[in-house]
Amino acid sequence: MRPQRERLLEAAVRIVAEKGYAATTIGDLTREASISRTTFYELYPDKEACFLAAFDSVVEVLMRRIVRAYEAEEHWPERARAGLRALLETLAEEPALARLAMVDISSVGPAAQRRHRVAMQRLTPLFDEGRDFAPRGHRLPANTSRMAVGGVTGLIADDLVAGRTEQLPELLGDLLFAVLVPYVGPHAAVEEIRLGEGRPQPGAADGPGPATAGRPPAGSP
Amino acid sequence: MPAIRSPHESGGASRGELGGLIERERLPSGREDLPEPIVAHSQRERILVAMADSCANKGFGATTIADIVRPAGVSRATFYELFEDKEDCFQAAMELSLADAMERVVGAFSPDKPWATLVRDSAAAFLDLLASRPAFARMAMVEAPASGQRASEMHAAGKRVLLTLLDRGREEAIEAAIPASAGRAAIAGAESLIVGQILAGNAERLRELLPDVVYITIVPYLGQEEALRHSREVEA
Repeated sequence: MRPQRERLLEAAVRIVAEKGYAATTIGDLTREASISRTTFYELYPDKEACFLAAFDSVVEVLMRRIVRAYEAEEHWPERARAGLRALLETLAEEPALARLAMVDISSVGPAAQRRHRVAMQRLTPLFDEGRDFAPRGHRLPANTSRMAVGGVTGLIADDLVAGRTEQLPELLGDLLFAVLVPYVGPHAAVEEIRLGEGRPQPGAADGPGPATAGRPPAGSP
Repeated sequence: MPAIRSPHESGGASRGELGGLIERERLPSGREDLPEPIVAHSQRERILVAMADSCANKGFGATTIADIVRPAGVSRATFYELFEDKEDCFQAAMELSLADAMERVVGAFSPDKPWATLVRDSAAAFLDLLASRPAFARMAMVEAPASGQRASEMHAAGKRVLLTLLDRGREEAIEAAIPASAGRAAIAGAESLIVGQILAGNAERLRELLPDVVYITIVPYLGQEEALRHSREVEA
């Protein structure tokens, strides 16, 4: 039998997705996890602490998958694309987990909102490599990658709320644009979406050639 | 519903600013020369300000009726004459915060302004308003999306108005094939930066985010060079 803590966190993800955070009681959690109330209070002081722990475990799963996909690619922006695809596919496969991580978390209170932000900001390094692609001699605003992450999570949350969980992978092009446009501008970002859809522009290089957003200008790190 | 008017919006500190508003508008008890509706109106506003303040300081859940009536200078009986309960009061304060924020943004609108100027002016007005009233900033940006049907619908409606204004940039866009979601993503990006600043307790310094907000909202439409130029200009 799996550890009680693990059962409880999985139960929390399921129940909160079903009933929403506010309506979930500790009784629901102990019943679903087949543990006693005493055990619950040995593990967590209250419902919020349990929910936050469930959130943390969800974030770990998501981050592991994203980072693995990201590191499998050698160059940016392919790396960003791979990371975003892994995020969307995981969320689409695990609707309960998706809701908890991207929607319900914001209704729990300020502590949870802070936790959510910290977790999402772990995505910024995926995008900040794009700084090397900025027009020569220009420095992008300091918060560019934070805003890119905000755009990504905002679009995902909109789709989840609208019940389009299964179709999330179709959002890849939109997310890619949101992430790339501050770094490479609208033309190159649109071009990058086309490449991802397997519709290279006439005359584009065959095979695994460099994407149109291109490599960093010569001389940049 | 009348928005809470504060003639000293440029004032800095959070609680002081709201406290000042309360002090200034406090009516001496037993003023019989004032007609009843005016007294009630002022009481209502003081209660809403106190509600926003308390939410900012200890959160909605921990806020008690005593936390509201004491700084508002009204009796419990008056509170219950004006509002059904704590939730009802919270909703009213929330709606006021959102209505005020939207009014500010839409107020910067003028059909003669070039689109990029409009974006810059609206963003500046919006950030200045939030910075001048941190408790309301928190309500409109942090609590509203997460607190019940009515407030989250209003928040969503406000964002749609912003999106409509922003997406007029498509008429001037340098790239024809930008995705339909480009404006929504830009607004979500700016929003998350603003919310982060509020949650970190730095609402009064929101104006510092203007160059970032201007960049992210202009870049999908006019491209990097123009977005950087506008961003640098508002920084100056």
